[in-house]
Amino acid sequence: MELTDVTKRYGRRRRGVPALDRVSLSFGAGSFTAVLGVSGSGKSTLLQCAAGLERPSAGTVRLCGTDLAGLSQRRQAVLRRQRVGFVFQDLNLLPELTVEENIALPLRLDHRRAGRADIELAAARVGLGGGQLRRRPAELSGGQQQRVAIARALITRPEVIFADEPTGALDPHTAVGVLRLLREAADGTTVVIVTHDPQVTRFCDRAVFLHDGRVDRVLPDPEPAVVARVLHELGERS
Amino acid sequence: MRGWMLAGVRRSPGPLIGTVVASAAAAALTVAALSVAIADTSAPAGRLAGASVVVAGDTSLHVTVGHGDDARQSLPLPAYRGLSAGLAGQLARVPGVAAATGESGFPGGVVRPGDVDLVAVTAKPGVSPGVLAGRIRAALHGGRGYTIATGPARGDVADLTAAVERSDGQVLGAALIPPIVTISLFVLAATTGLAVSLRRRRFALLRTVGATRGQVRRAILAELAVCGVAGGALGWLPGVALGGLGVHALAAHQMLPADSAAWRSPWLLLVACGVSVIVAVLSGQIAARRAGRTSPAQALRETVAEGTWPSPVRILLGLGAAGGAGTLMAFTFGQKSAAGQLALALPLLLTCMVAVALLGPVLVAFAAWLARPARAVGGPSARLALAAISAQPRRTASAVIPVALAVALVGSVYFADASIAHATAAQAGSTVTADRVISGPGLDAGALRQVRALPGVRAAAGVAPVSVAATDPDLEPVYGEAVSDGPLNRVLDLGVTSGSLGALRPGQIAVSALEAAPGAMGVHVGSRLTVYLPDGTPYRATVSALYTRSLASGDVLIPASAVDGHTGAAPGFAQVLVSGGTAGGLAALAAGHPGWHVASRSVANAAAERAAAQDGFANNLILGLVAALAAVALVNTLAVATVERRRALRLLGRVGASRGQVAAAFGWHALFVTVTGLVAGAAAGAVTLVAVTKAATGSWVPFIPLAPAAGLVLGVGALVAGAVMIPFYAMSRREPALAAG
Repeated sequence: MELTDVTKRYGRRRRGVPALDRVSLSFGAGSFTAVLGVSGSGKSTLLQCAAGLERPSAGTVRLCGTDLAGLSQRRQAVLRRQRVGFVFQDLNLLPELTVEENIALPLRLDHRRAGRADIELAAARVGLGGGQLRRRPAELSGGQQQRVAIARALITRPEVIFADEPTGALDPHTAVGVLRLLREAADGTTVVIVTHDPQVTRFCDRAVFLHDGRVDRVLPDPEPAVVARVLHELGERS
Repeated sequence: MRGWMLAGVRRSPGPLIGTVVASAAAAALTVAALSVAIADTSAPAGRLAGASVVVAGDTSLHVTVGHGDDARQSLPLPAYRGLSAGLAGQLARVPGVAAATGESGFPGGVVRPGDVDLVAVTAKPGVSPGVLAGRIRAALHGGRGYTIATGPARGDVADLTAAVERSDGQVLGAALIPPIVTISLFVLAATTGLAVSLRRRRFALLRTVGATRGQVRRAILAELAVCGVAGGALGWLPGVALGGLGVHALAAHQMLPADSAAWRSPWLLLVACGVSVIVAVLSGQIAARRAGRTSPAQALRETVAEGTWPSPVRILLGLGAAGGAGTLMAFTFGQKSAAGQLALALPLLLTCMVAVALLGPVLVAFAAWLARPARAVGGPSARLALAAISAQPRRTASAVIPVALAVALVGSVYFADASIAHATAAQAGSTVTADRVISGPGLDAGALRQVRALPGVRAAAGVAPVSVAATDPDLEPVYGEAVSDGPLNRVLDLGVTSGSLGALRPGQIAVSALEAAPGAMGVHVGSRLTVYLPDGTPYRATVSALYTRSLASGDVLIPASAVDGHTGAAPGFAQVLVSGGTAGGLAALAAGHPGWHVASRSVANAAAERAAAQDGFANNLILGLVAALAAVALVNTLAVATVERRRALRLLGRVGASRGQVAAAFGWHALFVTVTGLVAGAAAGAVTLVAVTKAATGSWVPFIPLAPAAGLVLGVGALVAGAVMIPFYAMSRREPALAAG
């Protein structure tokens, strides 16, 4: 996945500070990257543009070798369900579907058969099983819900998984468990996590820091303590 | 495989209950109207039960109007054309006939000597009525000019009013279906729009997970189809019951034959489901499209960033609709004929409603701006309510729109009816200028002569209601009066605009200004005009006068001498109007005629006014249906919109608001919705109301009695308050965070 000179402005504020300002980044296959920054630094916008949920105002985004700008809305949707997985902070799951139906949703949308074995395997990889599959999301804890979301993201064996503050609503202990699961289960898949939690970077190959819509710095093999110091600096600057 | 599409309906139907209720209402009303429109209205054969075949002069009038495929128009006649008594003998010689007898004395029967109303034919054993009818038709050279009836059709020949009444009632039933479906579309579109917008994040999530726009759209339409089927099934039996009541009521008001039975076929279930599915799916098109277009990125955002302002397209369309309403209004007032104006009233109302619905968010934002002073009066609760309204005018608009639509619909229908009834009563109460009015049986030409001979009588004239058929420009019944010769202008004040009513001679006719206008009959004084008397006899006449005060007296005046013998009743008058004379002299004359009643002008006018005021059954029926649908829409949308504010309620509780404060905020919100809806609805309805009033009464000022107007305001207020506050209290009991007090 590759972003080249991506700029994103919102609404009619043509002259205001862009949410993303000529960002160029590439994410190697199988890499595990954290995108960090203070609130309003453009990290969520980066993820949305990279995933094709928002159309950038300028620049190109290549996802799985395809230039997203050249794809119709429909093709983008098909690309998402076949090759991209998503995990969000909350409201990840459709409340009226059971756990197994939520996991199988991308397959169903793609008119593919969702075999029981596949669903159970995907659920087992994130430590869910048995009676939990038939439950509704509201009956699960926050950590369990995030595991369901990860299982759903993995069911299509995607090339990229985007996670937006996946642990934002979890306590630190549960958060670590969920991230470990994501790291293990997503073995070989490119993962991009947007977060402001330094602890997340323990599991990452790389940390990208955004500030005012620009890439401020990139740290390979980040240490949470270093990440926390950088974030603090960035916070002071703004 | 499609489980994900309909899981919402199966497992959390909450937001869709409104859609089901509204489509059930639509289905029930459609079924009711349909079961009236195709009710079994066959009249009993009565005296003719023993006859195999009944032959009468053609019981319908056929007139060729203009050119083209539908140029030949027909209308059932209220009186028999009459047959020569000799026809019975001719028919008795047809092979297979056991007996043929001329019969008379039916209501609407012939009074000319030597004629019979109809011929009843009995068949010889072994000859079927159908075969015999064929032979009779052949014997009558194809049967042209005759009605030859067998089986249940004999009932219509035995009672001519049955066919007339049937055509009245069934036309009304059929005419109700298009407005019901149109209004249901409005109602459902509002409800569905809200139900979809409440679940935006769900659809946005579906989009991120890879659902295409089409899949989201189809999912919503599939949900709506299921709601439609459920609504149809729920609305079916109430609709059948309502249809039964409707047929009863129509029969009681002589708008259907007495023994009519509503159509009760099981097919109605299919009709109910079909109509409500179609209405639900059509109404959801816009909402489904919008949900499909929802940016998937919204699922990722912390707050539901629903656009505060409506899209420019919506505003443009709204302005277009408002412009269209203006053009249509100008066009309506430009229409010379009242019929043309009335025909444009419903499209005008619908256009105004579309404009209000589309511009709703703008109206709400404007109203919120106007309402700023309320913050000073209402304290923090009012401030809170106004802030919520200003922040999301679109959300508030979805609550205001059904209120406005309800007010526009109910108000324009009710007050148009009230204005016409008021004008009719006012005219009826002042048309008669004679000093005294005699009513009763046996008021014929001889009685009139006796009255005129009384000392001091300056003028006397007899009047009798009569219904003729005329092309205005379609063949339709026209109600008017048969009048005696003599100076009408000295006993009646009909507001003659041209010509004279000094005397109406045979070969002359007076026409109301409304009917005479271009687009209706299109005649003026001196024009030649043909109308058809109750037994179908054409009356060719010259227009001798035009008059304006037609609401009470009817649209044509015809000399009684031309009508006598063609009405199906003995010649005579319903009333004799007398100018001059003495009360004593008239009383002495009346004493010799049992049943005569002499009343003073004021008493007679008051009676006419009362009679005119009671004649609103069909309008009340329409009003009831419209009000029911509008109320369903209003309660539905507001209840759904209130439940959706649960998060705000919870949040307010957490920051320390007391239950009373939150209740007040919800109350202010309800007040805002009520007032804005009332004003917008009154504006939209007023345009149509003025147009209808102008067309029907000639006055620009509609009559708006205070009590019903207050009732409408209070009713709307009560419905809004109930739909907001009842869900609020239900929710607030489950929010322990709300501080007491």
